[in-house]
Amino acid sequence: MLEVDGLVKRYKTKDRKVVEAVKGIGFSLEAGRILAFLGPNGAGKTTTIKMIAGLINPDEGDVTVNGYSVSGKPKEALREIGAVLEGSRNLYWRLTPLENFEYWAGIRGVSRKVARERGRELMSELGLENKLGSTVQQLSRGMQQQVAICAALIHTPSLLLLDEPTLGLDLDASDRIQEYVLKLAHERGVGIVLTTHQMEIAQALADYVSIIQSGTLTLEGLKSEVLERYAGRSYLFELGAVASVEVRRKVEARGGVWSSKVEFRVVLDDPTDIYDLMRVLEPTAIVKMVRETADLAMIFREHTRMASASEEALRGVTS
Amino acid sequence: MLNALTAEWRREWIQLRRYPTEMLSELVVIVLVFYGLFLGASYMAGGAIFSGRLSDIIVGYVLWTLSMMSVGTMGWTISNEAQNGTLEQVFLSPFGAWFILLLRNMASVVISLLFTVITLFSVMAITHHYLVVSLWDVVPALLMIASAMGLGYLVASVTILMKRSQQLLNLLQFILLFLIMSPTASLSGPWRWVGIIAPFAPVVALLRNMMTKGESILSAGDWLIWSVVNAVLWLLVGLTVFAWAQKKAKRRGNLSHY
Ligand SMILES: Nc1ncnc2c1ncn2[C@@H]1O[C@H](COP(=O)(O)OP(=O)(O)OP(=O)(O)O)[C@@H](O)[C@H]1O
Ligand SMILES: [Mg+2]
Repeated sequence: MLEVDGLVKRYKTKDRKVVEAVKGIGFSLEAGRILAFLGPNGAGKTTTIKMIAGLINPDEGDVTVNGYSVSGKPKEALREIGAVLEGSRNLYWRLTPLENFEYWAGIRGVSRKVARERGRELMSELGLENKLGSTVQQLSRGMQQQVAICAALIHTPSLLLLDEPTLGLDLDASDRIQEYVLKLAHERGVGIVLTTHQMEIAQALADYVSIIQSGTLTLEGLKSEVLERYAGRSYLFELGAVASVEVRRKVEARGGVWSSKVEFRVVLDDPTDIYDLMRVLEPTAIVKMVRETADLAMIFREHTRMASASEEALRGVTS
Repeated sequence: MLNALTAEWRREWIQLRRYPTEMLSELVVIVLVFYGLFLGASYMAGGAIFSGRLSDIIVGYVLWTLSMMSVGTMGWTISNEAQNGTLEQVFLSPFGAWFILLLRNMASVVISLLFTVITLFSVMAITHHYLVVSLWDVVPALLMIASAMGLGYLVASVTILMKRSQQLLNLLQFILLFLIMSPTASLSGPWRWVGIIAPFAPVVALLRNMMTKGESILSAGDWLIWSVVNAVLWLLVGLTVFAWAQKKAKRRGNLSHY
């Protein structure tokens, strides 16, 4: 349904330098599946999302949605795409949700009648049917974001792009959106690409996971496979006393990530590496040692740390 | 496309109804201007040559405000939508942003025209002075607004690329006023082309012929044809430049960055 092929984007900055924000990204997504598109700040997520929506023109590569090329057949492709963009309101705050639906549907060629019906339906699915008449301005931040999602769905697109949809929302609003996104994909067959920095959300929603770092995909696959790949290799240590700076450094050198002064997680490629680690900790008491099941937060942390370390190492070799 | 048109209309209408202060202040200005013109004209001319001259002035004033509105609306829409965080959603329309801008411009011109007509009739009823405005005046008015929209796309292009357009707009108003005031129609030799190509020039000549000389639109001859040519030319130039500017902004990736 969505085919992303060899996207490259180079920006020229104000001081005439060239930033290569996206360096040849390709992936595909079937209908009814959710792709969590993860990566640290500035990795190129928003750039990729906007290239899919045709809001940024790539230097190389192309995107097709349901067989329509975004650059070649934008008219047809745009009918298949709905997007909620990062850090934008995406709605007219002076209008009510219903009026917003009518407008955004209209400029996508959908009639007012259909827009009203569909808007009502979408809003009641989110339990917001009594908010149809207040202006968007008067709604809470969470509701505004939910209305923005409804507006992006008003023309029944087959692909929904969500760039950090739960940013700054409370748990309740975030949960509602998550629940709804799942329903959209798995019951309605909408393909969804979602970026987020909240790993628990990716963990809860994703069918597929991609990690992008400095413009390159460094990990991709089915979420279940990715979790499997890391399963049983993660350990949580809790110490009986605060570790010295030297110990902390040695643990970090072995891939440990400290979550507090006495607690760290580590992924061990070889289970027998644990003896080496315990020697480093000596003589501090170990009060807890647990082999954890993998989750995306851990994998993301571990994976991005390793990738940037190897990148640094590479840079060290070449310079 | 019809759905887009209705959507644009309703949006404009709702905003007017919900936030009437803008509309009211606009209305007050129009009423004051008209009232002043009527009183002044009847005082100075004593009624005899009243309706002829005055209707020229009023038609001129209305055309000027509508044209300036069309020159400015698209650029203003773009910066306003960018600040509202809705510009990119507008660019997601399958009809293309140029079309949405066109519809919005048309909607505001029609609404503004509606106000003007209503006020004009009210002022006429109050002062008991009546103007004769021929339906034929609508044709040059439309041509003038079409040229103005062409310029509007140019302003919109500058707004997309430079993120500001106020200075350009001021300069442009000044140039256009100069063009309208100067006798471009009587230029001869190769300069004759200035009177044809410069924005508004032929349509102003057409209006002059119609109004001061009292000629009918058809006997004003070539100026009608040149006015059409001029309107089409500026619309095409505007649309071409806008398409280019949009592409450039999408390359730079700063469609909405402000
Ligand atoms: N219009 C632009 N002009 C120049 N550079 C840009 C532009 N937009 C983005 N960049 C740069 O491109 C890189 C990728 O940015 P992008 O916004 O795609 O990252 P992101 O993954 O969405 O990050 P975040 O998690 O912070 O949202 C960054 O280095 C950013 O500074
Ligand atoms: Mg981003």
